[in-house]
Amino acid sequence: MLGAEVTFDVALPKVVWGWLVSTNMWAKSIATGSFLLGLYFIKKYPEKDAFFRKWVPILGLIFIGITLLVTVLDLHHMFRFWKIFLFAHFTSAVTLGAWVVSGFVIVLLISFWSWVTGNKKLFDKVMLPGFVLAFFSTIYTAGIMGESTARELWVFPAEMIQMLLSATLAGSAAYLLLMTIYKVEMEEVKRELGYILIGSAFLSGMMYLGEILFARMHSEFSHRAVEILTFGSLAPMFWLGIFLTFIIPIILVGIANEKKKYEYALLGSISALVGLWLVKHSWLLAPQMLPLS
Amino acid sequence: MRLGFLVDLSRCMGCMACAVSCKAENDVPLHSWRLRVKYIDQGEFPEVKRHFVPLRCNHCENAPCERICPVSALHYLPNGIVNVDHNRCIGCASCMMACPYNAIYIDPITNSADKCTYCAHRIEVGMMPACVVACPTHANIFGDLDDPESEISKYLKEHKDVMVRKPELNTKPKHFYVRGSTVALDPLASERPEGYTLFTEVKFLDHIGGH
Ligand code: SF4
Ligand code: SF4
Repeated sequence: MLGAEVTFDVALPKVVWGWLVSTNMWAKSIATGSFLLGLYFIKKYPEKDAFFRKWVPILGLIFIGITLLVTVLDLHHMFRFWKIFLFAHFTSAVTLGAWVVSGFVIVLLISFWSWVTGNKKLFDKVMLPGFVLAFFSTIYTAGIMGESTARELWVFPAEMIQMLLSATLAGSAAYLLLMTIYKVEMEEVKRELGYILIGSAFLSGMMYLGEILFARMHSEFSHRAVEILTFGSLAPMFWLGIFLTFIIPIILVGIANEKKKYEYALLGSISALVGLWLVKHSWLLAPQMLPLS
Repeated sequence: MRLGFLVDLSRCMGCMACAVSCKAENDVPLHSWRLRVKYIDQGEFPEVKRHFVPLRCNHCENAPCERICPVSALHYLPNGIVNVDHNRCIGCASCMMACPYNAIYIDPITNSADKCTYCAHRIEVGMMPACVVACPTHANIFGDLDDPESEISKYLKEHKDVMVRKPELNTKPKHFYVRGSTVALDPLASERPEGYTLFTEVKFLDHIGGH
């Protein structure tokens, strides 16, 4: 007998998690990445720390605010979100994430207060817990993706590394953008941020390439999802995202660092931030395009 | 006690009595299904075969939906049923992302997750699930997997060709199929062509529940 086709079925739900979830991941990358990189630069260049002591809390609060807003908006019962604290179920990465992000928000508020009052020691005291909380705030989404057993494209360790690379990419892009706009004269820092951005873009791009090439080895489902992503309905969005996130920034930020023309870094950073959303969104949608039953 | 289901696919004639009785029993709203019967046509005329496959929650012993639910709205009952607490659900839809069998939906009226509960409310008072009662060919066999004398245990012992859906995911379904096939049980083994199928051309829903 030859092929088979479904001749009757009910209409199935398709996209369960849409742009609100992509925006959540994108904004969280900026918030946690800018925090982690901010700590690094404050420690490395204590004499030039004013810029980071100001922008770590501001960027963090704005973008973690966006993350929380879209998270709550995406709930079908948004006024029940508090139940996650009262009836916490700790096998769920969603629960762990809610607790970790809440801790991270407290650290950000303290760092904001430290900047407003000029009390550097206050921020210094929460740097270590802040580092741990920002780190776990970055990766918990990978845990959720790993627990999404139905979507076999998402594999836990790979997603975790992608989340960390997204954070360093988005954090460095956000700082380069601000430094160019506010004409901050810290050439050494800008160069280093540029190299972090290039390195993150390169590694992340390579990981996507690896995941695309080897998806077939994982399962038929992930192989089909990758086909939709690379040749199917999501291909234009995915490839545009890859181009904007990885290729353009590597070229432009590379030129900026080589020729010391940092306006190129501005364009590269914008490209990286726009592209990152597109890549995240298409990667989120791909395994939702296939029937599960 | 470990309650389980078994469908003898050679008995199923696709009449959908189970699906309709489930809708009526559980007040399942329009465009949502706890139990559905999928038709798959295989082959080319004159060598053709139609498969009917009733699909419902598997009440997995290692249920990804229970694990991911942040508020334990999805929880195990002592008899092995994976139940839903609608009042606790926050509507995050994580369970829909985790269930590999498409067995959960967000109810557009309550905005909470819902799914087949093996008619837990009927079992509590000693009745069979509505779909079991409605099936005219007794294709649905329901009972205690821990009781060697139950019909389901005997059926499982007697039949060599017992299958579950996606065994490789290690969800340990407590819903079995006898006389099944890969075409019937693997969603990627059949095409879903564009255009009309029997009765409808709507293949996918744009929205899941309301916001
Ligand atoms: S079939 Fe889906 S909804 Fe049912 S228990 Fe398994 S994972 Fe949960
Ligand atoms: S939608 Fe409801 S039942 Fe499903 S995981 Fe979220 S809180 Fe739990």
